[in-house]
Amino acid sequence: MSDNPYALEKAKVLRVYDLTETEKLFLFRFENSEIAENWTFKPGQFVQLTIPGVGEVPISICSSPMRKGFFELCIRRIGRVTTVIHRLKPGDTVLVRGPYGNGFPVDEWEGMDLLIIAAGLGTAPLRSVFLYAMDNRWKFGNITFINTARYGKELLFYKELEAIRDLAEAENVKIIQSVTRDKEWKGLKGRPQQFIVEANTNPKKTAVTVCGPPRMYRDVFETLINYGYRPENIYVTLERRMKCGIGKCGHCNVGTSTSWKYICKDGPVFGYFDIVSTPGLLD
Amino acid sequence: MEKVRIGFYALTSCYGCQLQFAMMDEIVQLLDKANIECWFMVDRDSDEEREVDIAFIEGSVSTQEEIELIKKIREKAKIVIAVGSCAIHGGVQSWGKDKELEELWKTVYGDGRVKFEPKMAEPVENYIKVDYKLYGCPPEKKDFLYALGTFLIGSWPEDIDYPVCVECRLNGNPCILIEKGEPCLGPLTTAGCDARCPSFNIACIGCRGAVGYGVAWFDSLAREFKKKGLTKEEILERMRIFNAHNPKLEEMINKVFEEGE
Amino acid sequence: MRYVKLPKENIYDFLERLKDYGKLYAPVKISEKFYDFREVDDVKKIEFHYNRTIMPPKKFFFLPREKMFEFSISKAEYKETIENVEPFVVFGLHACDIFALKIMDTIYLDEFPDKYYKVRREKGIIIGISCMPDEYCFCNLRETDFADDGFDLFLHELPDGYLVRVGTPIGHRIVDKSIKLFEEVTSQDICDFREFEKKREESFKYHEDWGSLRYLLELEMEHPMWDEQSELCLACGNCNTTCPTCRCYEVQDIPNLDGDTGVRIRRWDSCQLRSHGLVAGNHNFRPTKRSRFMNRYLCKNSYNEKLGLSYCVGCGRCTYFCPAGISFVKNLRTIMGLEDKSCPPEISEEIPKRGFAYGGAKQ
Repeated sequence: MSDNPYALEKAKVLRVYDLTETEKLFLFRFENSEIAENWTFKPGQFVQLTIPGVGEVPISICSSPMRKGFFELCIRRIGRVTTVIHRLKPGDTVLVRGPYGNGFPVDEWEGMDLLIIAAGLGTAPLRSVFLYAMDNRWKFGNITFINTARYGKELLFYKELEAIRDLAEAENVKIIQSVTRDKEWKGLKGRPQQFIVEANTNPKKTAVTVCGPPRMYRDVFETLINYGYRPENIYVTLERRMKCGIGKCGHCNVGTSTSWKYICKDGPVFGYFDIVSTPGLLD
Repeated sequence: MEKVRIGFYALTSCYGCQLQFAMMDEIVQLLDKANIECWFMVDRDSDEEREVDIAFIEGSVSTQEEIELIKKIREKAKIVIAVGSCAIHGGVQSWGKDKELEELWKTVYGDGRVKFEPKMAEPVENYIKVDYKLYGCPPEKKDFLYALGTFLIGSWPEDIDYPVCVECRLNGNPCILIEKGEPCLGPLTTAGCDARCPSFNIACIGCRGAVGYGVAWFDSLAREFKKKGLTKEEILERMRIFNAHNPKLEEMINKVFEEGE
Repeated sequence: MRYVKLPKENIYDFLERLKDYGKLYAPVKISEKFYDFREVDDVKKIEFHYNRTIMPPKKFFFLPREKMFEFSISKAEYKETIENVEPFVVFGLHACDIFALKIMDTIYLDEFPDKYYKVRREKGIIIGISCMPDEYCFCNLRETDFADDGFDLFLHELPDGYLVRVGTPIGHRIVDKSIKLFEEVTSQDICDFREFEKKREESFKYHEDWGSLRYLLELEMEHPMWDEQSELCLACGNCNTTCPTCRCYEVQDIPNLDGDTGVRIRRWDSCQLRSHGLVAGNHNFRPTKRSRFMNRYLCKNSYNEKLGLSYCVGCGRCTYFCPAGISFVKNLRTIMGLEDKSCPPEISEEIPKRGFAYGGAKQ
C-alpha cells in the first residue's frame, strides 16, 4: 500500500446501465487483480473517483460487499466531473481510492429486523445495505425496503426490485415502491413516511436506515418514533462535497462548538442522536 | 481526433486580450489540435461567417453592428467565452455610465465624424448567453490555457468565485488595506491574477471585476473606506472603474451612507 | 528536561550555526508593520520581539499551494509529486504557534497521515522563543501560552541571554555540537526566568474563565452579534489564511494544452468563501455570509479531544489581520456576556437595517 493517503488505483469500467435520464449505474473492477479480489467495504461507505485532469468526486458504493471482484456506483449527472463520468464506456479506466467513512454498523444489527427508507438518490447507498442483507439473509429478521422518488421515471432500481418482489415476499422481504408527485404513475403514490405503517418489521427490534433529500428526514423520524421505532436504532447517511475523504480538507465540516464533525470521517452514517445534537447535519 | 475550431472576435476594446494570447508560446501546441477559423490578429484567412466550437469574444458591445456580430457568433458557436473586463463587465469605457452618451461622444471625438452608430458600452452578456468567462485586463495566460485544456479533454473550466485577498495571503504579502489604508479592492475582486498588483505593493483597482454569485460585499468594503475618510463619490468612482454595470454597487454603497454614524 | 543558558553575546553565533542543519527561516520585518517567517541569510535581520507573523508557521508544512499529482490522462495514470524535502530550521516560534502545529498534527498525522505534510514535518526543526503579549493576545485563555513540547529548543528571554529548554534528541544535538556557546543555568537566571513569566502573565489583557464558551456559542446562535458582525465582514478569508490552525484546502485538476497531461493541485481554502459548503447540484450548506461567519467561530472553539484544547490558540491573527476590524475576542466575550452584562441581550428595533445599535456603545 502506498503511504500517500491520496494514492489512486486504476479501475476499469465493466458495464454501464442507464437507470434514469440522469442516473447511470457503473460496474467497476480494479485492474490490479489482487486488489480487485481482496478489496472490501461496509455498506454506507464511499469511494473517491478521479477522472484525471477533470477532478475527483465522492460517490457512495451501492453494491454488496459480499460480491467480491467488482463494485458498483450509481452516479447522477449533476456537475462537471459527473458529466464526464457519464460518457464512460466499458473498457475505460478511472482512478479510485477508498473506501472511506464509517459505514452502517451492520454487524451490530444481526438478529434484528431491517427497515430501509430511501428517497431519490438516497436509494443508492441503501441498496448496498439491502443487497448485503439479502446476501446474509439468515442474519436478519424481516426486511422492508421503501423506495421512493418524485416521478416514476426517477425511481432508482425500480425494475431490479420489482424483479425480485415475489421471491422476496416468500423470504419475508417486503418491497414498497412509491412516487410522490407523478400523477400518471400506475403504482403506489405517497411519501415514504406513509408506508412505514405497512412495514413488516417489529419496531422494537428494527434497525432503520434513512437516506434522501434533507427535507424528508423530519417527517420520517416523527412517523418512525410515533410507531415505536427506537431512536437509537435509526441511522442516516449524508453527503457533502468531500475533497479528501479522510478528515482533512474541511469541506464536510459540520456542527457546532460541542459537536464538530467531519462527515467523511465521523460519518457519512450518523445515528439519530448525532442528528439531534449536531445542528446543521441535515441541512 | 477532430480538430477544435476556434474563433477570436473583437468588439470595442484595446485588443490587449488577444494580443496577450497571440503572443503565448504555448499556442504552438495547439496547432495540431485546433483550426483557427477566425482570428484576424494571427490569421489573415479569417472569416466571421464560419462555424466554430469555441468563440472567444473580447471588447464591450458599443455599436449596433457589434450587437449583430455577437448574435451571429452565438448562433455559429457551440461555446461562447467572454474574454477580459470589457466583454465581461463593460470595461473601463463603462466608467462614465451615468453620463450622457452625447457628452462622452463629444469628449472622445469632438466634432469628428465616424461611420458607425455609437451606444453606451455594455457587457456581452447583456445580449447573448455567455458560457464561460476569462477575467482580467488583460486575462492571465494560465486562465486561457486552463480553459482550452479543459475543453480539449471534454471538461470545462471551473469559475472563480473567491477574492484576490486569498491569493494575496497565499503569496505571503502584507495587507495594503490594513497597513497603508489605501482603498484596495482585493476583497471584492475576482481572484486569478495571483494578486499581481498587491504583490508589487500597489492597491488592487479591481480590473478582474467583482466576484459573482452575490458575494462581492461592496457595502462592507465601502464602510471600511468610509472609516478611512473616503467620500461616497470617491468610493463609487473607484469601485465603478471595472464594475459600472454591477447592479448591486450603488445600492450597497447608498445603504452604507444612509446608515449614518 | 534539560536547561542551558545561551548568553546574549552568543546569540548570533548560535543562529549562524543553525544553518548547518538546513535552511534557516525566522521572523523578519516584511513591511512597515508586519512580520513573516522568511529564509534568513543575515541573522542580524531576525526580529526577536515581533508580535505575530502574517503567515502562520503551518506554511512550512502544509504549503499554501502544492502540486499533488501529475496525470497522464489517456492512460489514466498518475505520478506523485512530492519534492525531496531537505531538513530546515524554523526559528522564533511563539508558544501559541507551537501548539498550533500540535493541533495540525492531530488532523494531518492521524490514522490517514497526509504525506505532503508529514515529509516536511519530519524534516523541520522547531525553535521556540518567549514573547510578551500585546493587546491582541489571548493564548493564556486558551491554555496555549506555555509550550511543554512540540519544539526542539525553546529560548526564554533573560536580561543577559536566553534560558534554553531542550525538547528533543535533535535539540540535544544542536546544543552539544555548539556546547561552547552555552553556559550552565544559574540561580539568578532562574529568578530572571520567573520574573519574566510573571510579567508576561500580568501583561495579558484578559484574565477570566472561558470554560462556558463552547456551550454558550451554540446556545446563542440567534444572538444579534452574529448579524451585526457578519454584516461588517468582507469575506476576504484573511482570518482563515492567517490562522495557524485553519487547515481546509481546495483541490483542482489542471489539464495541459496537449490534451493528455495535467496536474492535481491544492491550495488553502477558507470557510468564509461561498463554495466551501457547496455541493453538487448547487445546494449550499452555508448559503449566507452570516452562516459562513458563524462557522469559523464554531470550528475554532470546538474541542480537540486529542489535546484537550480548542482549535484556537489565541494568537490574535484573525483580529489583527482583519481588514474590517472585526475582533474575534470581543465577539466571543459578547457571547459570554463579558462585554455587555444584559441578559438576554437588548435588541434594537433598527437591527438589522442599521446593525450598530447593540452593545450600548453607539446610539
